Amino acid sequence: MTAFVEYLMTGIARGLVFALLAMGFVFIYRVTRVVNFAQGAFAVFGGFITYSLLRAGVPQGVSELLAILAAALIGLIFGIITIAGDLPLLASLIITIGLSILSEAILMLIWGTTPITYSGLTGHDFVILGAFIQRQYLIVVLASLALFALVALAFGRTYFGKAMTACASNPYAAKLSGINVKRMGLVAFMLGGALGGAAGVLITPLSPMTYDADVSLAITGFAAAIVGGLTSPGLAVIGGLVFGLAEQFVAGYWSPSNETAVALALLIILLLWQARRMRLEGLE
Amino acid sequence: MTERMRSVVVGTTVVIIGLITLAIPLVLSSSNLEIYVDIGLFTIVVSGLSLLMGFAGQVSLGQAAFYGIGAYTAAIMAVHKWPSLVALIAAPIVTAAIAFLIGIPLLRLKGHALAFGTLAVQLILLAIIPETPSFTGGSIGLSAIPPLRIGPLAISSGKDYAYLVWIVAVAVLIITRNLTRSRPGRGLRAMATTPSGASATGVQVESYKLRDFALSAAYAGIAGGIYVFFIGYISPDAFPVMLSIEFVIMVVVGGIGTISGAFVGAAVITIISQILTSLGTSPSLPPQLPTVLSLGVYAVILIAILRLIPSGIVGALSELWKKTQRTPSAVSSRSSEERQEVASAVDGAGRTDSVLTGELQSRDATMVKETSTGQQ
Repeated sequence: MTAFVEYLMTGIARGLVFALLAMGFVFIYRVTRVVNFAQGAFAVFGGFITYSLLRAGVPQGVSELLAILAAALIGLIFGIITIAGDLPLLASLIITIGLSILSEAILMLIWGTTPITYSGLTGHDFVILGAFIQRQYLIVVLASLALFALVALAFGRTYFGKAMTACASNPYAAKLSGINVKRMGLVAFMLGGALGGAAGVLITPLSPMTYDADVSLAITGFAAAIVGGLTSPGLAVIGGLVFGLAEQFVAGYWSPSNETAVALALLIILLLWQARRMRLEGLE
Repeated sequence: MTERMRSVVVGTTVVIIGLITLAIPLVLSSSNLEIYVDIGLFTIVVSGLSLLMGFAGQVSLGQAAFYGIGAYTAAIMAVHKWPSLVALIAAPIVTAAIAFLIGIPLLRLKGHALAFGTLAVQLILLAIIPETPSFTGGSIGLSAIPPLRIGPLAISSGKDYAYLVWIVAVAVLIITRNLTRSRPGRGLRAMATTPSGASATGVQVESYKLRDFALSAAYAGIAGGIYVFFIGYISPDAFPVMLSIEFVIMVVVGGIGTISGAFVGAAVITIISQILTSLGTSPSLPPQLPTVLSLGVYAVILIAILRLIPSGIVGALSELWKKTQRTPSAVSSRSSEERQEVASAVDGAGRTDSVLTGELQSRDATMVKETSTGQQ
């Protein structure tokens, strides 16, 4: 039972981090129709920038926020490189692959190949049903829930959020009603960058970050996003939780070496399920 | 230039290039011969991927996995005493069958699910191989793979492999070229322009995309099969995710959907990667420099080409050639030229699913324009 609670809590925390990445995919895809392969890079940058700021003596909390802002800025730059001008979708997708390897080169050049980590919130572990849970897990859960609420509020209540939803559902009509669809695409990239950065900031204290972690983070985030057909932020959160929990329970009860293979197999199963659903609904 | 003259020129060029290709192995050192073989193998893989990207408008990030599946199929069969030629022939068949099964669900999804799905396949393959040492040799790999024998002919030296690879590469290029001009090829091109339009005129888009994907995997499979006999051993390290990305870069550099672009892209990137490795490995430099350098250079090349010359080297050159040839009498011969080269330029004809679309549409527009001015 103790082990079960521990896996459950770890799974939920990691799942919420994947959900943040997945939501980044969803927002960028909804507005620009680009599947951003460099989504994982935002998280890696977020983790490494926080690490450097903390080492430079910037207080906890401020470092994390600055790192998220930096990730948003990187998102904006990536967005400009990916969608500025009139590029076909295929070219935009391939450019994001280029940005992903460019990020690896930059990260390796600045920070080297050694994995990094930093302590999150220090303090005593708290105990649930006999299981010791690190405080960082609580922080991850609270911070991601707060971010989800913030995003939901921004989309539901502000003009900007509504304009973005308009671009997602019908770009042509949005353009006719005076919304700059291209600029909204860049905003989506910034948002994707911030969400990805937050994911990296939150996960680095739990599992060390490496310069080349972006591909595995991106593929897990994508897998979570595919649960909602790449367009539903809510289902993406559920997808993130599914992956977080599956990963922990496989690693805990079976074998950690099967973790990746199972996660990837789950992705393939999800893709199969989505394809079937699409056929049934005739949405080809 | 008349059509007849043109075909003579093209024919002569092909013969000259063919002779040069055959002569090169005679003068190369053994390490350069290896690079020459690599370029041939990559040309085979890249022409398949180019077909997939140019016509189905899909990216596969698992092409190195298919290359690996082909290599492992051939290696495992050869080690288990199957005739080596049978093993080599089985490589593309097994690879295509696997791609076919993966492609059925993945190609139905929108949003480039194929890119991530194939990447997942590659990562699964890399995770499974170390866990199955009795079958695949695990992370150490399989060695002592018997040499390739075609009937009484033993293919053993580097030169033999250079010839074998290039014979297969040329065969693959010819198959690809004929395919793009055949009835399915026209269907594929219609699909590249507007999938819904093609579907409305009776092209079975889904099935065409699937066959296109399986064929691209088969090309990677045969290349992998030849590779494993050439090297003589196999381990999962030879098929990293980066190799899949390199294949995509080769397609983009040569020109998406162009046939000769496959060779140009494979040659340019293979040579650049050799130069980078030799540059980066000076003893005084930090050990991670070669990786930083190659990742950075690849990224910059990829982004710069897509941003500045989206039709790639071959596409850009053929556009330049057309510009110099633009005379009223050229209109009739141009139409045959159009059929020959499936270029892939993009000129702002709107964001569509395929890179080809812009070029095909604008090309139609200019042809209509030229025909009407000719009538005046």
